[in-house]
Formats: sequence, structure tokens, C-alpha cells
Amino acid sequence: MLHLSRRLALKSALLCALASPFFNTSVAADAVLRVSAIPDEAPTELQRKFAPLGKYLEKELAMKVSFVPVSDYAAVVEALASDKLDLAWLGGFTFVQANIRTKGTAMPLVQREEDARFTSKFITADANIKALADTKGKVFAFGSPSSTSGHLMPRYFLLQDGIDADRDFKNVAFSGAHDATVAFVASGKADAGVLNASVWEKLVDQKKVDAKVRVIATTPPYFDYNWTVRGDLDPALIKKIEAAFLKLDAGNPEHAEILALQRATKFIPTKKENYAGIEQAAKAAGLLK
Amino acid sequence: MKHPRDPAAPGRAAALLLAMVILWPLGVIGEFRPWTLFEAQNLRVMGGFLAAFLPPASGGEFLVYLGRATLETLAIATAGIALAFLLAVPLAMASTQALSVSRLGPGAGRRRGEWLRAVLRVVLVVLRGLPELVWALLFVRVFGLGPAAGVLALGLTYGGMLAKVYAEILESGDNRPARALLEAGASRLQALCYGLLPGAAQELTSYTVYRWECAVRASVVMGFVGAGGLGQLMDQSMRMLNGSEAATILLTFLLLVLAADALSGLLRRQLGEADGRAGALAFGRRTLLWLLLLGSALLGSYLWLELGLAALLSRSALTSMADYFGAFFPLDLSPGWLAAVGWGALETVAISALGTLLAAAAGLLLALPASGRYGQAFEQLTRFLLNALRSVPELVWATLMALAAGLGPFAGILALALHTSGVLGRLFAEALQNAPPRPRDALLEAGTPSGIAFLYGTLPEVSPQLIAYSLYRWEMNIRMAAILGFVGAGGLGQLLYVKLSLFQYAQASTVIAAMLLLSVAVDAGSAWLRRWLASPGG
Amino acid sequence: MFCLHDVELTHANGFVALREIALALQTGEQLAIVGPSGAGKTTLLRLISAALRPSKGRIDLLGGDPWALSAAELRRLRTRIGVAHQAPPLPPRQRVVTAVLAGRLGQWPWWKGIASLAYPVDVTGACAALARLELGERIFDRCDRLSGGQLQRVGIARVLYQQAQLVLADEPVSALDPALALQTVKVLCDDAAARGATLVASLHAVDLARSCFPRIVGMREGRIVFDLPVAAVDDVLLSELYATEGGGLPLLAGEQPGTVPPTVEAGLPRRGTCWR
Repeated sequence: MLHLSRRLALKSALLCALASPFFNTSVAADAVLRVSAIPDEAPTELQRKFAPLGKYLEKELAMKVSFVPVSDYAAVVEALASDKLDLAWLGGFTFVQANIRTKGTAMPLVQREEDARFTSKFITADANIKALADTKGKVFAFGSPSSTSGHLMPRYFLLQDGIDADRDFKNVAFSGAHDATVAFVASGKADAGVLNASVWEKLVDQKKVDAKVRVIATTPPYFDYNWTVRGDLDPALIKKIEAAFLKLDAGNPEHAEILALQRATKFIPTKKENYAGIEQAAKAAGLLK
Repeated sequence: MKHPRDPAAPGRAAALLLAMVILWPLGVIGEFRPWTLFEAQNLRVMGGFLAAFLPPASGGEFLVYLGRATLETLAIATAGIALAFLLAVPLAMASTQALSVSRLGPGAGRRRGEWLRAVLRVVLVVLRGLPELVWALLFVRVFGLGPAAGVLALGLTYGGMLAKVYAEILESGDNRPARALLEAGASRLQALCYGLLPGAAQELTSYTVYRWECAVRASVVMGFVGAGGLGQLMDQSMRMLNGSEAATILLTFLLLVLAADALSGLLRRQLGEADGRAGALAFGRRTLLWLLLLGSALLGSYLWLELGLAALLSRSALTSMADYFGAFFPLDLSPGWLAAVGWGALETVAISALGTLLAAAAGLLLALPASGRYGQAFEQLTRFLLNALRSVPELVWATLMALAAGLGPFAGILALALHTSGVLGRLFAEALQNAPPRPRDALLEAGTPSGIAFLYGTLPEVSPQLIAYSLYRWEMNIRMAAILGFVGAGGLGQLLYVKLSLFQYAQASTVIAAMLLLSVAVDAGSAWLRRWLASPGG
Repeated sequence: MFCLHDVELTHANGFVALREIALALQTGEQLAIVGPSGAGKTTLLRLISAALRPSKGRIDLLGGDPWALSAAELRRLRTRIGVAHQAPPLPPRQRVVTAVLAGRLGQWPWWKGIASLAYPVDVTGACAALARLELGERIFDRCDRLSGGQLQRVGIARVLYQQAQLVLADEPVSALDPALALQTVKVLCDDAAARGATLVASLHAVDLARSCFPRIVGMREGRIVFDLPVAAVDDVLLSELYATEGGGLPLLAGEQPGTVPPTVEAGLPRRGTCWR
């Protein structure tokens, strides 16, 4: 399974190069809905999560849906800004950045019910670290620098707890993804780290977490992930996409599989204003100027 | 009996003091703490990772994927060099003085011609001053992930390098035939083909082939910023700490680099022979065969990568690029950020200096057996070790060393030291083999222990050469140290990576400017140092 | 001191450089080897210094067969043998003081050898050795700043400094003018005599050999032709030895053909005698 999807990743990477408007401007953009997601987990895992959702969207929208895997957060934002993507799964902070990059045209559509009260988990494998304050002077692992739940919000809440990530840690590592952060901490490459609660719970459920690794703290809730469309997409199509997401119902067994993979109970509408808090936190933490 | 004091002693003491005064802060900045290698935690991390090396991953699907990534790497290198060649030829023709029409006489437009050449030289400095990985990182954002960014990045940096060296080769040869042709009213292209190429073709081709070999190594690491190929695979395996996959990929690196080495050596030898027999531009059957092979390799690479480079020049693509690169200006020159960049630059210098110094010491130790002093078996063994050390790119060593020594600049120092000791060890071994043996033999015949005999008999003769090699590598290592931060090994690279991730392009462009400045300063500095060492007083 | 029994040396290419060599020397003896170019003088000296292994026959050197010793013992044995070369194998970039001190590297502990690279550990000793050859003021010059003759004397200074029990000199003064050559060979002889060391020198100039050495060995085509006290070596014997060379005996000034060779008496600086 793993290897298979990796091959898929390669093929789609090629596709991505082809699909980019720099290379191919004549393809009718509306014939295919180009979807991507920030790579907050291993690229293979993202593909696995998306497959049933993609099929569902194809059916609901009556058009081809292609998933473009990306291994860099910023690439998703740039792709949205340069009309290379139509729909993207963004983190709260990535959305704020996309909003700025697209000069306010990017539009958040829906989010999981869970995203309205999202949290991050601070983890460690070091027996001597019992509270957040003990992480001072240690090697600390964030996810991607662009991640909301893996970097921005934890950094912001650390700052409120009197820990300045730039000054108080011996070294800051960016693992690149949430599951990689767990690998960093379990191996001891980092003394402590932080990842989003949703991925943490999934890894625990799948028993993929080393027994030494435990949670020492959880952040207060904040708004996180959403599905965003580029602003100049056909408004009728936007409506149809939104409706398709909102229609997902856990009572329907076919939908239940999709929701389970997305780790959502259901999708709810969202709006730009929900992310004003994140923008402020980003400014306070010095990640946004 | 009265005897004089050693007049060189104060100078030596001063030099030693100066070295300490320079090295000490560098060590502090570079967090040079060898003992961390033996800390229980780091040993455990590295041990756990290395234990997972065996057995190397050999699943069928994985191997198929690995094979594809290897082909992609080769294709990126080949397509990149082809692009570089296309860029380099006009740039070299325009910037070389050997083909200047306006210098004849001097004729009209001489001032303008010189001005143009100066501008072109600056362009070349910018092109090759930035490491290819930085270009790749920038292009990945514009062109999406995948090999296109890698090909373009290689094309630009190597285009700059090729153009510079082409121009130098053309200028170093006999310019009179070309001048005579120009004076007779020939065009630049005609003067190039009939006046300069016959003398320079072999050297030009040989250098291009050598660059291709370098491009293979470079394209291996492109993937670390998402530009396709083996590096992307390695990056994923390293992030998930999958030892067995990493082991297989490392073995593939080794084979690939050795094969590229061998192929490039073979090609260059063939060229040397061909030159002896007939004119360089004569189309023998063998030349035709090579050209055919080259053509199909290029076509194959192009098809494999499915690049649509022509569409790059479309209007919307150009405006979009202009928009992206426009965001990099103006540079962020606020004092706080400049201080941070300055510190990053210092860290980069420290990493490169200490890494090269360690490599020179280790290279010398390895060169002794590799030059055949302790018998055939040791010679073969160390030569293999040296090849293995240098076939793994610095960036890959850095990801491994980040496990062994923890994240931070020290991992960068170790990474540079490991790769460079492979390179220097090979060069040093050759220098030792060419050193006159008599002084050392005479000492051995007077009962001197072999180590001491080496210090008194061989080292004085080879040391200028060893120092020159080390300086040359240091120059390259400064550029390399600037990007090791992409995988968490400190220096300017880490700043650049984080700032690009946060879309803080103004700050990112300050970092890029610092890299460029550093690279130019190193060029100038090492040229000066080499002149000083070569002068009789040095 | 040493004894060669019926020694033969065949090079790898099959050329027989030495054959049927029998030679014995007592401690404290001084011997000159003369003979035309290619006679095997240098090879014989290399054999005596245990740098070459004979293909046949046996060598007793300083009380035993050097080729029966372990590597460490052989190394220790070699520290007791000093060789002055015709073209001294000194690295051009090395300083004179370092080159001279290198004579005792085999006797010093390893750390002393390394320390001496940082600061010469025995400037006094090196200076004394050089002063005997009138090179005291060049002690801190680099070897590549010296003339060929000066370089040869630095090589001799290294051997003097080494204080070896067996001193072997291979055409040690070939690059010196006659007066200086005589004076330099005298220094070697005096030093060996004063320390009771044994001295073997191969010399191209026969008058130098006759004026300074009590015993002379003549070699030709890899064989010892004669081995006689100096008094028994007359011009006839020498002329036969050099028969193939044509134009007379090689003398001190004979390097420049056409000049009149000075008599031994005229060429001798009156600073004492080296006869003993």
C-alpha cells in the first residue's frame, strides 16, 4: 500500500508540473477540479485520506477531480495565488498567508466541526520533562514553519507562558510534518515537540506511537483547518462544492468512511473573520509582519 | 658557543596566536563540541537508526520506485546541463574578449562593448554565486514541485559556471587566428568556429563532461527541496527515520556517483585519444556514435521529465514570475534583521572553515594509506572509503549527522568534514604519490620512525599543494555551508528556509544577498590568498 | 665493525651490480673507495648501510646480520649509521637547521621530533656542526637558497650531528672546489677519529683519497680490484683502475679538464694533517 501510493505520488508530481499554467495554459481549467492539501502529514498518508473524498466530489460535481500532492506548505499557497489550484485544504495560518498572497480573494468555504475548537499537544519522551517549563534549554521540534497547529499557535501559547522559542530552547528543529515530529521525539533527535491533537489521536489509535512518548500539555482551543477555494472560481461551482461538503452525514455509511478518514464528525461553514485571531497570534509571535 | 635565536620563532608564535584567536570564536560560533558525539542520547539515536540499516530495504515496489527516482536524477542532470550549455554558449561568446569586434582598432562602440561585458560578468557572478539548491528552492515555489525546478536551477547555476570557464578557456588559447578572421570581416560565430574552436574544442568538451558528473551529484540533493529525484526519496525516509530505506538509497547514491565518475573519466580519456589522432572537429565514426548517444540521452531525459519548457516563455508565465520575484524587493535592511543575517553568515563561515580544517586533517591521515605506503590491501581499502565518503553529498551527510550530533551547526561541520575528507584525501594521496621519495627514504635509512620521516621528509615538499587544495575546497564549502541549514544544520540556509516558508520574501532576499556577498568575497579572498602563497615571500 | 662475506647484488632487471665482494673493517678504521663511474661504489655503500639487501652472501654489521633482525631492531641499528649523500636528499623548502637536526630523529623520542618542528630543540648542536663546515651563518636559511656545494656540506653537517658509529660518505665533496673539498673531508676524518667512529668514503678524486685515508679500496665493474694501505697504492695501480676513462687520473681539480692538477702538498691547507 505504502509503496503503491508513493508511486502515485511521483506520477502526480509529474502531473503537477504539467498542470501548472506556466507549462500548459491552454487546458480548460474548469474541466478538472485541481485539489491539493498542505503536506502536514507524510505525502502518502494524504493520498490515502483523499481518495474516497475525491471520488465523492467527482460524483457530486460531475467533473474530474485531480489531487496534486505537494511537499511544501508554501507551494500550496503559491499555487493558489497563481491559479494552479482550485481547492485546497489549508491550515489556519496557511489560510492567513494565502489570504495575504491572493490579496484577499481566497475564500474559506467549510471546515470540520473539530476545527472550530482545535488544539495542539506538547509531547516528550524524556522522563525529566514534566511540564512545559522543563523544556527550556532543550531541543524542541515544531512541524513545518508554516504549520498552524505544529508551529504558530504552539509558539504563540508558549510565548504567553513565558517561553520564547527563539531564545529559551537550545535548538529549534522543524520536522516538516506532524508524524515526523513524533518520530523526532521518539528517537530522541528532539527532547520535546508539538503536533496537532487530531494527528496525535490518530497515531495513538493506530498504535504507531512509541510507549515512551507522552503528552505534557495541551494548548487552549483555536480555529484551524479549512477548505479554501481561489476567489475567481465560477461562483456556481463554489456553491456546489460547499453543498457537497455540508451534505456529508455520518449516518450514511458511504459518507461515514469519508468523514472518518478526514477525522471529522461533520463539516460546517466558515468565514474569514474566524481567522482574525490566528492573524493576530501570528503577528504577536513575530511570524507575520 | 654563542648561537643565534630562531628568527622565525616570533612570526610562528604570532601566526599560532592569530590562528587561535580566529579559530576559538569560530569554534564557539560553530558549536564545535566533539564530545556531544558520545553523549548517551545521541549514541542511542544514531545506533537505533544505523541498526535499522540492516537489512537494506529491498521490497520490489520500493526498488521500482528507487529505479525511477534514479533515472529521474540522471535525467535532471542531463537536461540541466543541456540547458546550461544553451545559456553558456551565447554568454561566453559575448563576454570573452577573444571575440570582441569592437576591440579591433579600437573601433566604434568599444566603450559600449566593454560596458556590456562588465554587465554580463556581473550576471555570471550572480548566476553561479547562488548555490543551485537556493535556485531550486525558489523555483519550486513558482513551477510547482517536481523536476522542472531542478532542471532550471541546474541550468542557471551551471550555465553561469560554464560560461565563465568557457570564456576563460577561449581567452587562454591562441587568439590570433580568431583576431585575423575578425579583422577580415568574419562574424563572431564564424570567428569562433574557425578561429577558436579548433584549438579549444577538446578542453571545452572535457570540462562540460566533468560538469555533467558534478550535475549528477547536485541533482541527487535537489529533491531535498522538493525538486524530484533521489533526494526527495531520501528526504522522506530521513524524516520518518526509516533506516532500511535510507541504507538502500545511500547505496544507490554510491553506485550512481561512481558510475558517473567512471563514465565521465572514460569519455574524457576517449577525447584525449581522439585529439591525438585527428582534428577535434573532424567527424569520425566514433564522434558520430558519441553524438548519437548524446542526442538520445538528451531526448530521453526531456521525454522522461515531460518538461514543457517552451511554455515557460508565455506571457502569463512571465508576469507570474515577475510578480513572484518582485515580492523579493526591496530587501529588508532593518538593523535587527541585518544582525540576524550577519550572525547566520558568521555561522556559515565557521561551519565551512572548521569543516574544511577537519577534512584536511582527516584527508591527510587517509591519504597516507591511500598513497600506497602501507601496502596494496590498505591502499584499495582506503581508496574505497574515500570514494564512499565523497559520493554521499554534504546535505545527506548533514541529515545523518543531525542524528549523530544533534541539530545545529556542529552537524554541518561534521557533514562538510566527512564529504570533503573524501575529496581531499584523494587529491592528497595523488600529491603524496608524486612527491620526491628520496628525502624520506634517506631519513628511514637513518632509522627514523616512518611517521616522523613523513613529517621531515615528505610534508615540507607537498604542503604548498595540500594547502592550495584545502583553500580551494574551503571556497566551495562556504557556498555549501550556506545551504546545509535546509536540513537543520545551522547557518544562513536555516534562515532562508524558514523565511521562505513564512512568505517573508523581503527578509529572504536579504539572506540571499548575504549568500551572494559571501560567495563573491570568498572568490576574491581566496584568489588573493593563493597569489600571496605563490609569491616568494609566502 | 662490519664484514662482507662474498656478497653479490643483482638488480631486479638482472644487472649484476656487485660480485664476490669481501671486505672487513675494524672499529675506528677509515677507508676510501675509489674507482671509475659505475664501478659499484654507491651500491656498495648502500649495502653497508643496510639500505639494500644482498642477493647473495652475508653481511655482519655492528655485530650481527641486519637482515635477521626484526623491523624495530633494524630501525635501531640504522640510527647508528650515518650517510652523507652526493646529492643530499633535503627537501628544498626545509630550513637548514631542521635538515641538520633531522640527523638525530631516529635517536629522539617521537614527541621531540614533533616539538622540533615548532621550535628547533637543539640550535646549539646544529650550529656547532654547521660551524665546522663554515656554514654557521646559513643556519636559518631555507635549503633552496643554498648552492649545490653548500647543500652538500649541510648533508655532511647532518651526519656530524647524528654522531653515528659508522659514517658512510658517498662522493660527499663532489660539488666543492679543491681547497674546500680537502678541508671538508678532513673535518669528516677528524670527527670520526675523535669519536672513535668508523668512516668509509667513496671518492672520485684519487688524490683526495690518498692524502686523507690510510686504506684504499679500488673498485671496477662491481668487483674489488685492490684493497691496500695507501702507501702501496701507486699511480700505476690507479691508472690500470681507470684505464677506460681515458685522459688520466681523476684528481681534485680534474673536474675542469685542461687545468693542472695541484700536487697534494700544494693543495693542502696547512692546518694540521689528516695522516694517522
